[in-house]
Order: sequence, then structure tokens, then C-alpha cells
Amino acid sequence: MNEKNKPVPQLIEVEPMQEGYRWVAITAMLLAIGIILHTVSPNVGGVTPNWTIAMYSIVINLTRPKLTQAIGIGFIAGLTLVPSSKSAFPLGNVASELAGATVCCLLVRAMFSAGLGEWKLRPFVTGFLATMTSGGLFTFILKLVLGLPLHVWIFVMLPVVAVVGLLNGLITFFLYAPVRKLFYVQEGGK
Amino acid sequence: MESVIKLQNFYFAYKSSAVLALRDINLEIKKGSFTVITGPSGAGKTTLCKAITGIVPYYMGGRYSGEVEVLGASTKGKRVSDLAMRVGFIMEDYESQLVSLTAGEEVAFALLNHGFAPEEIAERTSRALEDVGLPGRESYQLDELSGGQRQRLLLAATLAVHPEIIVLDEPVSAMDPDGAQSLYKLVYDIHKRYGTTIVAVEHRMDYLLPYVTDMIALKEGEVAAADAFEAAAPKMYEDKALRPLLPALWQIKLGLEEKLSLDLGDWRSERDALADFKTYGIVAKEGRAD
Repeated sequence: MNEKNKPVPQLIEVEPMQEGYRWVAITAMLLAIGIILHTVSPNVGGVTPNWTIAMYSIVINLTRPKLTQAIGIGFIAGLTLVPSSKSAFPLGNVASELAGATVCCLLVRAMFSAGLGEWKLRPFVTGFLATMTSGGLFTFILKLVLGLPLHVWIFVMLPVVAVVGLLNGLITFFLYAPVRKLFYVQEGGK
Repeated sequence: MESVIKLQNFYFAYKSSAVLALRDINLEIKKGSFTVITGPSGAGKTTLCKAITGIVPYYMGGRYSGEVEVLGASTKGKRVSDLAMRVGFIMEDYESQLVSLTAGEEVAFALLNHGFAPEEIAERTSRALEDVGLPGRESYQLDELSGGQRQRLLLAATLAVHPEIIVLDEPVSAMDPDGAQSLYKLVYDIHKRYGTTIVAVEHRMDYLLPYVTDMIALKEGEVAAADAFEAAAPKMYEDKALRPLLPALWQIKLGLEEKLSLDLGDWRSERDALADFKTYGIVAKEGRAD
């Protein structure tokens, strides 16, 4: 029989082996949901949330992938947007999502390093800044392709990107907790 | 007797929890036994099953100390899929373990993933389905099977890999009494036919009374009793929190023994109990006659 007050020995911390595969499944599922929502979301006042960015922001906040994995997520996310893109340069999506996912990953890692891992606004901030990076780069590529003046990019395009960024930040913030609950429910913890 | 599962000074806490789910677990499960793990909710029964099947701590992550040996080897560094070829696990949420469209594909899934020859897969699939009372159902879609049949199908998928140990985590929690009795009867038949060691988590012990050989009682993550059923039951009876988990017949038996200082037999059914009553009834009459 065990003694209740027996001291607990030094416990060894082990990282879950399942993470090696689960992040792929979670990413695939959320990106697929993002594509569907991206296709069916109506355009309201010229602004529509970018569900794909919101979804990979959730994935990156949730699974905290390595930088190379995040680059992979961004590349796939960009590719999924190319066929349905109505822009003058659809391949710009690949570059912009690559940058968005990279920034999101670096931000999440930096926040955990700075002890902000449990900060409730982390999904909002990372979703917003990932969208700003992705949208900013995409519109800048568009400016170059179409030969638009710089002030058009700064005063017309970037404000729209900021509005979409706010929407995406809110989507990431509100969906992060339920998605985490769904995927990590069996871990018996918080 | 040879043990197939051995835990030594095992402690475990889930990654996101500060509380120990298992604390200083020392126990052995004998080869060929029908062992039941019981205990109140949150006692660590499911976590113990996961430790036995290698899911805890290495697959799920977390903090641990101590050693878990399964079939003579530590679970450390073992992949769950490799261990699953020797230790079958049927989870409480068994539906989440079903991955295929048809019954045949479901049973063959593990075999295909481990590179068995097609002829052997077909033979094992057909035999496993027969063993669980679903002969010739290879082409059935999963939604054509009832809940009970799907659970039997999962048992068939487990059996097809010829495991030496089968672990069942509250397999009848969503079943009616008839379905529960029928499933445990089937598990017992398999245990007898193939000599498979069975480890079943169950808090409704009445279903398992005819079959149980060994019992492990957990309480707040610690082992409260771990012994042959006849030896573990009195220890559980002494603990008011564990007493209600004993089979109703044994609560009566141990109550009578305590109150009347009798030494009653190994009650496995109402018939055994009635036989004892009759015996003591005769003694009483003879006593009066004398």
C-alpha cells in the first residue's frame, strides 16, 4: 500500500510524440475549413475576412510549429488561394502567406519566450499582425505589378488591409479557445 | 505466476496539469489473468490503461517517474503502433477508434499497416469476425451495424492482430445490461479460447463477477488494493469509498461474514450464494435439533 505523504520523486518531462503528426492533421483540417469559408464569405463594403490567414494563425498558435513547418503551412495556404484568386497577380498569395505564417510563427515563439504564452490576447495580436504582414506584402506586390503610386498603397490599400487584419484578429481570438478545446480535450488538463 | 505487465514506482502528471494522475503505482498483472481495474471517477483508471498501452507518457507527453514494463520490456521508446500488435486497447469512446468504411477494412486496417500478406489478412479478418459473432460481414458498411455490433467489430479488429493482452476501458458504459453481459461473455470466451490476458476497467463489477480473477482498486491516483479478487475484495470492503464498487453479491457476502463471523464461499453467482444460505440453513436446523 502506498503512503500518502511519501515524497514525489523528480519527474521527467517528456514531449508528446503525437505532435509529430497531429499538427499536420490540424493544419489540413483548418486550412480546408478556411478555403470553404473563403469561397462562400460575402464581400461587405469591399471588405471580407481572410479566413485562410485566420485559420493558419489559429494553427500556429495552437501547435507552435518550428519555423520550417510554419513556412510549409504558409506555402500550402498560399497555394490554396491561387486558383480562386481574382487579383492581377494570383501567385502573390504564395509569397504573402509565406510571410504571414513566418511572422505569426516568430511572434508566437517570441511571446512564449517573453512569458506571454498564456496572454489571452495572443491569438488576436498574432492574427492581426500576420494579416497585416500578408496583406501588406500582397498589396505591395500588386502595386509593383500594376505600377501604382506609393501613396495609393499607403493611403488606400493599407487601411483596407488593417480593417481585414482587425477582422482576422477577432476571428482568431474567438475561434482559438473552442478549437483548442476540440483538439486537446483528451489531455485531461485545462 | 509470470507477470505480463509490471509498474514500479510509477508517477504521472498530464502535461497541462499540476496534479498527479497516478502516484507511486506498484503492481503486476499476471499472464492469463482476467484483471479488473476499478475505482471512483477520477481515480486514474483510464490513465493506468494508457500507461499499460504506452500512450502515457511517451505518446501524450507529460511528467513521469518510474517504470512500466509490458511483456518483459519497458514501454520507453516504444511506438504505440508497435505495442498495439501485442497489446490491444479498446477505449471507452470506441467510435473514435473506427477508421474505415466497411467491417472488413476495419479489421484488416492494423494488419495492412504492418505489411501482412493479403491471404493472411483475409484469413485473419474472417476468423476474427467469426469469433465476435459477425461472420461474413466483411462488406457491411459501418453504419449498417448497430452500436453493439460496432463494438464487437472493434474487438474483432483487436483480435485479428493476435494480441497477448487486451485492455478494455469501460467498454459497456453506454450499453444496456443485456448488451453489457453479452459483450463480457464474449470477452471471457476469447480469454478462455486463446489464453489472452484481459485487463478491463469497470465500475459496474456485477457484470464481471463470474469472470474476474484479479482486481486492482485505485483511489485518488493510488493503488488501494491489488491482488487476487478474493483477497482484494475484503480490502475494498474496509474502505467506505470503494465498498459500493464491489459486486452487490460480495457486499452482502462480506457484510454477512463481518456481522455473523462466517466464512462464506467464493460467490460468483446467485446460485453460489443460495448454496451457502442453504448450507448454513441446514446447520442452523441441525443446531436446533441438537
